[in-house]
Amino acid sequence: MIADKEPPTPPSSRRKRVKALSAGTYLVRNAGRTLPLTGVILLAVVLITGIVAMMNSIPLSIRTTYSYSKYLLGISPRGDENLTPKMLKTLKKQSPVPLERIVTFRASASQVKSVVGKWPFLVLGLNQPDTLYFLHKLGATSVLGRLPDKGKPEAVVSEPVARNLQLKLGSVLLSPSDQDNYSPQKVKVVGIALTKEWLMVDDLDYQKVNHFPPVDNIMVFARNLKDQNTLDHWAVKTFKGDRAIVFAYYVLERQTDENFKTLYAILDVVIGVLVLVITIMMGMLINIYQSQRLVEFGLLQAIGYTKKQLLTRVLRETTWVLLLGWTVGLACAYGLLEIVNRKLMYPNAYALDTLDPIAIRYTVPVPISILVVAALTVWLRFRKFDPVGVVERRLV
Amino acid sequence: MIEACGASLVYYDNGKKVYACQDISMEVRENEFLGILGPSGSGKSSLLYLLSGLKVPSEGEIRYMGTSLARLSDETRSKLRLKDFGFVFQQPYLLGYLTAKENVAIAGVDGDSNAQAMDLLDRLGLGDKKHRLPHELSGGERQRVCVARALLGHPNIIFADEPTAALDHRNGRHVVQLLNANRGHGSLVMVTHDPSMLEEADRVLHLSDGSIESEDDLASRAFAQ
Repeated sequence: MIADKEPPTPPSSRRKRVKALSAGTYLVRNAGRTLPLTGVILLAVVLITGIVAMMNSIPLSIRTTYSYSKYLLGISPRGDENLTPKMLKTLKKQSPVPLERIVTFRASASQVKSVVGKWPFLVLGLNQPDTLYFLHKLGATSVLGRLPDKGKPEAVVSEPVARNLQLKLGSVLLSPSDQDNYSPQKVKVVGIALTKEWLMVDDLDYQKVNHFPPVDNIMVFARNLKDQNTLDHWAVKTFKGDRAIVFAYYVLERQTDENFKTLYAILDVVIGVLVLVITIMMGMLINIYQSQRLVEFGLLQAIGYTKKQLLTRVLRETTWVLLLGWTVGLACAYGLLEIVNRKLMYPNAYALDTLDPIAIRYTVPVPISILVVAALTVWLRFRKFDPVGVVERRLV
Repeated sequence: MIEACGASLVYYDNGKKVYACQDISMEVRENEFLGILGPSGSGKSSLLYLLSGLKVPSEGEIRYMGTSLARLSDETRSKLRLKDFGFVFQQPYLLGYLTAKENVAIAGVDGDSNAQAMDLLDRLGLGDKKHRLPHELSGGERQRVCVARALLGHPNIIFADEPTAALDHRNGRHVVQLLNANRGHGSLVMVTHDPSMLEEADRVLHLSDGSIESEDDLASRAFAQ
């Protein structure tokens, strides 16, 4: 009698698979068929990674360019010099965290370049001790050149700013003829601070004499980033409604997220449509591809391979094709983004994450959706598949 | 070993009921060479598919070692085919990307399939061509590879569906001789429309219009000659 469960086969032999039917054998020996599929997935992954990483470079640039504000709280009274002492008093008395340093400064407007045009950037007017403290706080290891002299039209910029504006020691940072980077006198770069943070600092006394409005702004430093964050939140709440502008990093982050929300919603739709198109295309390709293998499936089923074994085999092959296309696609995307970064982004100090986790995450639906479509297509085909039709040459 | 009890196979042609096989009762005995002879359309291939479990009878039943094949699941029937049966089809179907040896080994269920495949190919005169791909073999050689695949694992029954149809007479005879000589203690059920291919058969069933018309054995055929 034969049990309906399984015909008697030695247990040890049942586990051994015939290597000739392994996914690797099929894929390697049918490279002409499998490589185009891999290529389509590879291109899709490169395309999606590229689009998302480049798109992400905009908010990343904002965060990078203004990252220095993470280390400080900036308060600027609106046009009334008498407000500054009152605010200083409030800060000293009511601060929720111990304060490491309070600095009064002047500021003038400048601009830096970005992938989407020019962005405003402040030139901070500080005295020398405060400049030294500020540079130290922002992780500057050293300064090439020197710090600005008291009352002189001189400035120190950080290395990324120098790269962004193509500045060297002796270059003019601000000039009377430059509308975007205006100053009544030519302000020259006398120092380049070696730090990854973006900063422009000139002399406090020079600013007091040459720039309007004559209002002292306040910078407040906490002992660490955690305290700084607490202080920022408190200040925004405390000075809300007063005649002051409060600059806090978390506000910048929140505004960036809000501003890019719509852009990311559009991106989601675009990537979704792209994935759908690629999935439909791949589904059709896989269908054609499996149709060409009907004789193989018919023969294997006729000699005794179960539908489950055949389906598993096809899915294993498809998974390898997808994994190969996906990983090589990610590697190619990384390579391309690295080239873009080295040739275009880094020389201008534009931010680009060549291993952007968000971009990688956006590519994950590609192999998954294709695998699901492939599984469904093949399952539907196998469901009513009759091997006799193949061996009788009715289906081929 | 395997028996058909009133087995019929029905298909519908434009709603009309057509019998490919009708009320067939017969058996395949152990270690015999059974020939099924009949003209085209007589239902001999359909009978072979019923006996081998590739088709389930519409009426009646097929029993293998006392168990009705129709009661087994599709999966169990498949596993049974792989382990207990061997197949040679009309066309020498081989997987184009596998070598002759690999094409034979795919029919194996145990670990030493490769060694067995090499041994079989040696015995069938293809020892020097075991690493060749199907397109590098002649039609006769391809069918011999199919024979080797059917013989792998010493199956209880080998089903051959017009295995000589795509070959010239000399190659056809050679294939039948190889099948018969190498089947060991297994039975061979061969379907053909060419009586000369069944000279070595122990018994021959004559089929006509889906039914068994007559049966003769080796002795009666020798007597007739």
